Parts: sequence; C-alpha cells; structure tokens
Amino acid sequence: MNQPALLSKQNIIFVLLLVILVAFPFVADSRTLTILLTQIFIFGILAMSYDILLGYTGIVSFGHAMFFGMGAYTTAIMLKEIQPTIPVFIGSIVVGMILAGILSFFVGLLTLRLKSHFFAMLTLAISGLLLVVAEKWRSVTKGNDGFTFRAPDVFKDRIVFYFCVLACLVIVFLLLRRFVNSPLGRVLIAVRENEQRTRSLGFKTLHYKVISSIVAGVIASLAGSLYAISLRFVNTSMMTMDITLDALLMTIIGGVGTLVGPLVGSVVIEFAQHYLSGLARNYPIFERWIIFFGIIYILAVVFFPKGIVGSILAKVSKWKQQDQVPLPEPKERLK
Amino acid sequence: MDLLISLVINGLATGMLIFLLAAGLTLIFGLMDVLNFAHGGLFVWGAYTGVFTYAYTESFLIGIVVAILTGILFGFIMEKLIITPVYGNHVQQILITLGFMLVLQEMIKVAFGPNAIPVSVPTYLAGSWEIGEVIVIKYRVFIIIVGFIIFGIFHYILTRTKIGLIVRAGVMNKEMVQALGINIKRVFLFVFMTGASLAALGGMLMAPYSGSIYAEMGMEFAILGFIVVVIGGMGSFSGSLLAAILVGLAGSFMAYYVPFLSLAVNMILMAIVLIFRPQGLFSMIRREST
Amino acid sequence: MQNLLKLHNIHTHIGQYHILQGIDFEAKEGEVSVLLGRNGAGKTTTLKTIMGLTPASNGSVHFFNQDITKKATYDIANLGIGYVPEDQGIFGQLTVEENLKVAIRKETPEVMEKLEYILELFPDLKKFWKKAGGNLSGGQKQMLAMARAFVNDSKLLLIDEPSKGLAPIVIEKVMEAIVEMKKQSTIVLVEQNFLMASNIGDTYTLIDDGRTVHRGAMSDLIQNEELKQKYLGIG
Repeated sequence: MNQPALLSKQNIIFVLLLVILVAFPFVADSRTLTILLTQIFIFGILAMSYDILLGYTGIVSFGHAMFFGMGAYTTAIMLKEIQPTIPVFIGSIVVGMILAGILSFFVGLLTLRLKSHFFAMLTLAISGLLLVVAEKWRSVTKGNDGFTFRAPDVFKDRIVFYFCVLACLVIVFLLLRRFVNSPLGRVLIAVRENEQRTRSLGFKTLHYKVISSIVAGVIASLAGSLYAISLRFVNTSMMTMDITLDALLMTIIGGVGTLVGPLVGSVVIEFAQHYLSGLARNYPIFERWIIFFGIIYILAVVFFPKGIVGSILAKVSKWKQQDQVPLPEPKERLK
Repeated sequence: MDLLISLVINGLATGMLIFLLAAGLTLIFGLMDVLNFAHGGLFVWGAYTGVFTYAYTESFLIGIVVAILTGILFGFIMEKLIITPVYGNHVQQILITLGFMLVLQEMIKVAFGPNAIPVSVPTYLAGSWEIGEVIVIKYRVFIIIVGFIIFGIFHYILTRTKIGLIVRAGVMNKEMVQALGINIKRVFLFVFMTGASLAALGGMLMAPYSGSIYAEMGMEFAILGFIVVVIGGMGSFSGSLLAAILVGLAGSFMAYYVPFLSLAVNMILMAIVLIFRPQGLFSMIRREST
Repeated sequence: MQNLLKLHNIHTHIGQYHILQGIDFEAKEGEVSVLLGRNGAGKTTTLKTIMGLTPASNGSVHFFNQDITKKATYDIANLGIGYVPEDQGIFGQLTVEENLKVAIRKETPEVMEKLEYILELFPDLKKFWKKAGGNLSGGQKQMLAMARAFVNDSKLLLIDEPSKGLAPIVIEKVMEAIVEMKKQSTIVLVEQNFLMASNIGDTYTLIDDGRTVHRGAMSDLIQNEELKQKYLGIG
C-alpha cells in the first residue's frame, strides 16, 4: 500500500486541478487574478516547506523568513549585478538554495539539540539578528528602502511567469511528497510522534532534524527567489517575522502534516488578505487585518488543530469506517 | 572614570528593565513549563495604559499603578484563555502564545494609534546630578533603585513565605506539590498574574527612559527577556537578575566601544551558554528529564 | 474492621499504553497492606492512580466509602492520604525544614505536636534541620519523605518501595518507623524486598501484568512456595 496507485482518486483530483490551473490564463483574462494566483503558488511553496518542519518533524521555527529572504536577495542581487537573463536567474536560484542550505545546516546544528521552547526562541533571535544585519548592511541590501531590479525579459509576460511558478509548485509538491513518504520521511514522523523512542530505536534524531531543516530552508529560498521576481523589488521586510507568520498561518489553517493543507491554507489566506485589504479602503478597522488572522489562528490552534485538510481527512476516514468497508489499517507510521 | 560610571549606570538601568520582564518569564517557565511568547505584549500594554493615564492625570505614580493593574488583569485573562487550554502541549503553547502576542500588539495600534508616542520624565525625576566630573541621570538611578526594591520584595516572598516556598517547590517537582494537597493551578494563576504585573511595570518604567513608546517594543524587549532567561537558567529568579544585569552591561559597553557587535553580543552570549551550559549559568533545576 | 480503601476493577492508560488492566485491592483500617509483583507489574501505577496522578480510565477507587476516582490529586491528598513516591520527591533545594513546611497544611497545635513526635521518630531530620534536601543521604531522604506524608492528619499512607537502594541497616530503621506509624495510620506498601514485606505486612495483593492475581493474609503467602516462585521468582 505504500506506493500510491497511479490512478488513485487522490491523483485524479490533482491532475484535474492541474488541468484547470493550466487552462486558467487562457480562459479567464484577469490580470489581478493571475497575479493573485501566482502569489498563492509562491506562498504555497513556502508553506509546504514550513510543513516539513512543523507538520512532519514537529518543530516550531520562528526564523523561517531568513531563508525566504536569503533566496529573494540572492536572486535580486545577481540579476542586478550580473545581467537579467534566464541563466543568471536559474543560477541565482541554485546559489540561493545552496546558501540557505548552508545557513540552515549551521542554525540547525546549533539549535536543534534543544527542546522545542529553546529552538523556537533561538530561531526567533537568530532571524531577528540577521534582519538587523541586513538593515545595517545598506551597501548590499539598501535596508528597508530596498531596491528594484530588472527581471529577465520573458517574465514581462505575467502568464509566462505564472506557468514558471506553477511548474515549480508542482515539482516541489511531487518532490516533497516523495520525501515524506520515503524511509527518511517516516523517521521524521517518528521523531514528531515520540523523539525519545525514536532515539532509543537507534536513530540519531539530530541528524534527521537537521536534514528536515535543510530541506525546509532550501525550498523556502526557492520561494523567496520567485517572490523577488514577482515584485521585481526586494527589501528587508522579506526577512521579517510577518513572512514566517504567513507560512505558519497557512500551514495551521490548511492542516499540518498533509502537504496539501498548506496549499489550501495559502489559497484561503491570500484570498482573505486580498479581500480584507479591499475592505480596508472603506472600513479602516480592516487595516489591522492581522488581528483577525491572529484570532482565527488562536481559535484554530485550540479548536481546530488539524486544520481544513486534516479535518476533512479525519471525517472521511471515520465515515469510511462507519460504512464497514474493510479498509487496510491506517498507514503504519513506523517501519 | 566618569565614562565608566555612566556606562555602568546605563547598563544597570537597562538590565533592571529587562529583569522585570524576565523575572515573570523565568518563574512561569520554571513552574508551569510554559514559555510565554506573549509576555512582551504585557510589557507594551503596561507601557501604553500607564503612559495614557500619566498623560491624563499628570501623575506618574497613578500611571504606574494603572500599568500594574493592567498587567494583573491581562495576566488573568491570558492564563485562563490562552495558557490553560493548551497546557502540557509545547508546540501548541508556542504557537498560541505567539499568536496572542500579535493580537496584543495590533490591538495597541487600534486602541492607541499606530504611531510612536513621546513620553517625558516626570519633573521630580528629570535632570541629573553632578558628582565631581560625573553626570548621573536621575531617572536611571530611579529605575535601578526600583529594580532592586522589586528584587528584594520578591526574594523575600520566595524565600520567607509559604506561597514562595510552594512556588519554589513547584519549580522542582510539580507532581509532589499536588500530592501534598496543594492546588497547583491556583499557584499557576497567582504566579502568572504576578509575572504579568512585573512585565507591565517594566513597560511603564521603560517609557520615559527611552522617551517614546511604540507597539513593536514589546517583541523587541521580549527577545532580550528570553535571552536573559536562557543565560540565567530557566526558573531561577536570582539568576534572571544577574543575567539581566550582565546583558544590560554588555549592551551598554559594546554600544560604546564596539558598536557593530552591540547587536550581536547578547545573541553570542546566549549561544555560548546554550552550547556549554544549556541549563543556564545560575540554574536551580538539575536537568534530568523533561 | 472496615475497608478504608477499596479499588474495584481499575484500568489505567498512560499515553497509548494500557498499564493497569483490572486491579482489585483493599486496605483495612490499621493494617499494613502490601502490593507485590515483578518489576513493571503495575504497583507504582496503582499508587499513582489512587493519588489521581494517573487517573483511572475505568473502575473505581473508594476511600472511607467516598468515590475519589475522579478527584484531583490535591483533593485526594487533603482527604488524608499521604504519598511517598518511589523517588521520594524531595525538593532538593529546600531545607528539611522547608520541605516539611510545604507539606504542613495548617500549623495547628495537633500538627505541631505530631511534628515533634515525628522528629523524635527520625532524629536525623532534626539534626539536619537546615540542610538542603538534595544533600541528604538516601535513608535520610526516605525519612524526610515519610515525615512529609505523615505530618498532617494522614489516615492513609501510600509508600512506594521504601527500601530501594538503601543499606540493610537503614532498611531496618525504615521498617521500625513504618511499624511505629502504623499505630496512627493505615499503610499501603509497595515492596520488592520480600523479607521486609513479610515482616511488617498484614495482607498481600499480588499483581501481575496490570492485574490482581492473588490476595490473602501475609502469613499464607509466606507458606505458599508455589505462588512465591511463580510471581516473585523467589522460593
């Protein structure tokens, strides 16, 4: 049962969705919606990378934005300093990923030995420190003012960029799904369920946690690179807590530990943000839309910890059990 | 020499403000095993309610009282609404307290406006003394004195009263405290409200010291508070005073001599402590198990 | 004599593990009832379940004919049940005096009188009155833990393996103390040291794999080589 059948219901739904998304720009000629969807894909990638940490390994990082920011800055600087062409763009993504991988390796090694409290705190502090460094290092980052740069000419067409991001999203999704279903991913889940027991089974849990944090960091950097291109602008706000919180919120609301959940969360949050900031023009209270998200988020943590996708999955499996259909045991977590 | 003294006074004053924040954090962590990421929210709410009362009544003292009352009230609400439902689940705790921190921070902007608000030192604490060559700013000395008084009071409570004994015993072994017939949840609430009121007081005292208040200062100071808690040892009250002074002094000296490092020095201190002595420099709990 | 404590078909889960799977147990007033069984049989969990530290998922605990199954630990303690855990639960950084102060609910004349009596029973505690609990020897810690459980008006004492890790001469002292405390309290004892258990126990309850398998008078068990061999691995 470990290998999902090529034509399982799940896969059929994914393919259908993909067809709709591919057809979308040709059917609907809406610039706003195309841009919004592109944004959703980018944050979907970021949120999925966060899910590897929170959902699959069970660790809370408050510093995820530093990897996102690292990707964004690498791409922006390379495109500006070298030349705005596709090879440089691809090169910058790779460089950004390598840098993010190195950074997350060291951060992980330093912090992942600690218990969840300390880890969350340290990642918060380290990313705070990097933010300050970025703000002070004006010769490179231009601080909070940021700088604009030219993207490769092909991306002037929003639809081309839309497809580029969509392709990245699909590839990342498939790779990460493979990753979490691999033996390595199983160990991560075991770490989440009971770290001590996993360790006593002979796994060096620190190694696995570091690997998880590297994977998450590298993917976050990719999302950052794409985000920079979509804006053709970077500033230090891309390294702030707000970015981490967006990823956190999407993951929690969508459903942790599902990979699909963060994507759903990304759709919900981005649409809500779009809608609420529209409302803010008439009702100033909505300028503080973070409050609404904060409250929804708190309620979700307490009453809805599985998120949208998690809750649906739980309902479905319950309903199936009540139907007395002889189902195989829920997938073994260990082994 | 005069430079040295003013750097020391600077460092001590900053240290005391951090101490007021960290004292609650460390006790709440030690006793309840809860790292409250919303603690900075109490700090900033104390500052705003206190400052607005101060502006309205023109009495700094009433401002302080209102700040403390705000802390107690918010502490009560927070413990009941935010902490109790996720008690014992670390990941949920971290997520929910951080969420609440954001709500508190944004609520400040709704209630008091998004812009920084200037605050002046009350006339009787304004100005400075000149002792020989040295200029001593009165308000900083005031903060230091208040800090030591608070430390003295709480040190007395923790070591000489029954409730203090119970709190210290609870930090060491919660289960046993309950098995001796003590309702630990009430002790939790008491400690949480006390810690909240100290943070709120810290925020209020901070306001004239820095000259202005803004919504994000809660998070900024909370990070310093976390660093102090790690350095001092989770659950150690005296440890948090010593660590806060250390962090305050390090910050003040580095800002003068090695400005570039001043941002990083606390982080580096914390990293060193975490690598070589993760239980903290002055820890009271031996790290055996979770 | 009446049953002071009665456990009926107790089931307890810890996390996903089903630790107790049907414990029946009674303790009669004024007696020493001993819980016996191999390591991991569920003796400690039984005491914790009585105290409400690991609440039962099924079954009932009655104390003085009052159902205490669902009560909070501190309520149970305040009904007059003293608990000495396996690791003694000493507050290491508090002095002997402070450890006892945390335990004393109200400084009534009776309690203070009892404290005097206890300090005569355990002269070491008086000697190290100002010493930190963490710096006491194993035997002294055990005595402090028993004193702490005993000092209030405790009608029932739950003592978990008091002989564990102690030298034989110290064990003798602990035994004497338990015999002395028996005059005022009913005692439930978990003990691996069969010599000690058989010396001071009035009744026994054998636990195996989380179930009560045998009960009776201690004198019967001493005779019954087969039972001892089967469940305790001695004989």
